[in-house]
Amino acid sequence: MANKHSEQRTLFGQNISVTGANLWYGDFHAVKNISVEIPERKVTAFIGPSGCGKSTFLKCFNRMNDLVPGCRVEGEFKIGDVNIYGKIDINDLRRNVGMVFQKPNPFPMSVYDNIAYGPRTFDIHKRSVLDEIVETSLRQAAMWDELKDRLDKSALGLSGGQQQRLCIARALAVKPGIILMDEPTSALDPISTGKIEELCEELTKTTTIVIVTHNMQQATRISDKTGFFLLGELVEFGDTDDIFTDPKDERTERYITGRFG
Amino acid sequence: MTILSAKNKEKLGKAVFATAAVVCVIAVAAIFAFLIIKSIPAFAKIGVFEFVFGDNWSPDRLDTYDSPLSGTYGILTMIVGTLSATVGALMIGGILGYFTAVFLVFYCPKKLGRILSAVINLLAGIPSVVYGFFGIVFLLPLLSNIAPNNGSGLLATSIILGIMILPTVVSLSKTSLEAVPRAYYEGSVALGATHSETVFRIMSPAARSGITASLILGIGRALGETMAVVMVAGNAPTYPDGIFSSFRVLTANIVMEMGYAGEVQEGALVATGVILLFFVLLVNVLFRLISKKAVEKSVKKQKSHRRGRISALTKSIKNNISAFTYKIKAVSICKGMALFSGILAAVVLVLVIGFIFSKGMPYLIKNPSIIYGKYEFASENITILPSIITTLYAVAISLIIAVPIGIMTAIFLNEYAGRDNILVRIIRSAIDILAGVPSIVYGLFGMIAFVPLLGGSGSILAGALTVSIMLLPTIVRSTEESLKSVADAMREGSLALGAGKLRTIFKIVLPSALPGILSAVILSMGRVISESAPFLYTMGSVITSIPTGIMDSGATLAVALYQLSGEGWYINEAYATAVVLIVLVLVLNFSAEVLAGKLSKKLKGETNGK
Repeated sequence: MANKHSEQRTLFGQNISVTGANLWYGDFHAVKNISVEIPERKVTAFIGPSGCGKSTFLKCFNRMNDLVPGCRVEGEFKIGDVNIYGKIDINDLRRNVGMVFQKPNPFPMSVYDNIAYGPRTFDIHKRSVLDEIVETSLRQAAMWDELKDRLDKSALGLSGGQQQRLCIARALAVKPGIILMDEPTSALDPISTGKIEELCEELTKTTTIVIVTHNMQQATRISDKTGFFLLGELVEFGDTDDIFTDPKDERTERYITGRFG
Repeated sequence: MTILSAKNKEKLGKAVFATAAVVCVIAVAAIFAFLIIKSIPAFAKIGVFEFVFGDNWSPDRLDTYDSPLSGTYGILTMIVGTLSATVGALMIGGILGYFTAVFLVFYCPKKLGRILSAVINLLAGIPSVVYGFFGIVFLLPLLSNIAPNNGSGLLATSIILGIMILPTVVSLSKTSLEAVPRAYYEGSVALGATHSETVFRIMSPAARSGITASLILGIGRALGETMAVVMVAGNAPTYPDGIFSSFRVLTANIVMEMGYAGEVQEGALVATGVILLFFVLLVNVLFRLISKKAVEKSVKKQKSHRRGRISALTKSIKNNISAFTYKIKAVSICKGMALFSGILAAVVLVLVIGFIFSKGMPYLIKNPSIIYGKYEFASENITILPSIITTLYAVAISLIIAVPIGIMTAIFLNEYAGRDNILVRIIRSAIDILAGVPSIVYGLFGMIAFVPLLGGSGSILAGALTVSIMLLPTIVRSTEESLKSVADAMREGSLALGAGKLRTIFKIVLPSALPGILSAVILSMGRVISESAPFLYTMGSVITSIPTGIMDSGATLAVALYQLSGEGWYINEAYATAVVLIVLVLVLNFSAEVLAGKLSKKLKGETNGK
């Protein structure tokens, strides 16, 4: 029983390749014919004005869009060699593709239980193993020293920045190959934002990161690749340096120089 | 556990939840089917027109469907009686309730207001037999000073019903008054209107649809009320032709005669239930239309441009400003009414409890053995121990049945069901209907469905099954409310970690919603303890010795109070029973309130933390 997931577990890679992606919410065409290659163990940023489809596109990678009624996805999404809209276990996918949300969403339980929630989902119940996972995850998220003495306290008592880093630690606890971040710092103060940005760079040693952000400075600071979205289209995708210094498309240029958005 | 793959487990879970939801639909269908099948022969024999519009009710219990009728079965007097009592209740409880709500929101000091609202809410849980008993021991003797009879009749009924609908009217009106935007108030005062003018010319009209809805809900409660009315109405099957004239309502007809009814008579009584159900459902449809309109109106208001709203407001105030000058007198009368009502409501509500306690407590302290003493058949030795045990049985069994079904239905509706699914709409309507069915109609249903099924005579099990259906809507609705209050971000967080839906529900959603669910369960306990009408003909009503099992018959505390207060010589025992009932219900309602408060605190993250 302890191995029921690992036995059937699909092996996912760490790079994402998308061909001809389209997405509709009812009649609304939210993502229009996007193809993109996201490299492994790098930070890839999606930028663009509100409502341009970048978050929607991001949520295709762990199929969180399945939860939205009336949402329809077309095109090929592959992680490594696996077609994630094919015959796979969706919970397996989400275990491999972690997610950090815009607003921190710690569960109303202790710090320890928050982090152990994922491993327990996959039938790890041995206390010593869980202890180790909790410590490793918190160390990875650079908050072990802050929290080691309050593991049994409610996670809801932490500050907003701590809560968000706890959510990152929680995502790390199931050892995902990819972490999606949907505007993870938009609700945080500059110091907490800085900590999370540092963390992103640190995490690329082991993990692919795809981050949606409103903040163009943030994209330049932390990302290796950047994609610019507008009205559901991926206007331009390339190395972050190129996008911000020498954009090929006029619309990208107008956006990064602040003429609309 | 390994037999089921994760995927099949999810499917099985969903199927189980859906099944529970379908049980609610089946319950509604069964109620209608049984009542209609049982009443059709009576309608056919008597004639629908003669039954509804005949004003002579003199049944012959020897009448059968095979022989010509010798009795007459017309219920028009009772329809008129029900409507008159409802109007009377509305005149007293509706007006008092409206002005009390105005008082609480606009005139009362904040602290006092909070206490008063809490007291009024707690009183919503007081059993109807206790109100009826209060009517018998306090109101009737008082009225008999000016009445030609013992005081019973339309006036007494209206007063008791009025007090009973007061909490409903107050709490709902209060909510809608509080929802009126503050900007309205400021706009009006800025134009020079006084506080009272603003309250009665601007704020109260703005909350009109919510207040109307609260009155309609009060009407629904008054129409379906049984025991309290039976105890003070006099119950002669004649038209009420004066405030002290004895009259009979539809619910009373069922309670009065079911115990010894003949074949056609029983059919006619079930048919009375059908007519009653028709009236109540009509009121419910009306309520839904009006509250829907209220919601739409407020949504539209939010959508419309803010400035446009304010300018329309100032315009209406300017138009009304000349009206102000001669309406000032009316406004000051209204203000007086509000102050008077607020105080009166508080006094009345305290009086009900205070009077019964002042009579019952001394007896209870002198003879505590009435609670735990051994019951003997000798008439000097009435104890309520058998009733307490019967009540415990009833509470336990009905909760064991209703709580899991109710919670699973709520989970299905909130976690699985799409919004525009036809099945979901049917389930929701079924729950709405269940919530509106008067308790005496549940009693009828239990009598014709469960009692024959369980051997033909009343039993604790039959009674508990009957009320368990009655509890479903409360449990479903409040569980759904608490599930809704759990943020979607929690569910997303869990799913994004690869947890399945079942794990998300059981480990994240339900624990967060637990205090709310518990408070619903506690309220349901209170409801079982308070109810008497559904038990009379399903569980039996005779106070006998301690039940030995769930197939025995028995009387719950509330039924015992009804029996004791009807027989004049156990009045002390009745007082003591009423005290026990009130204490139980207040303790339960109070703890439910505390738990619900805890839920909102927990969701705000104030539990342990720092």
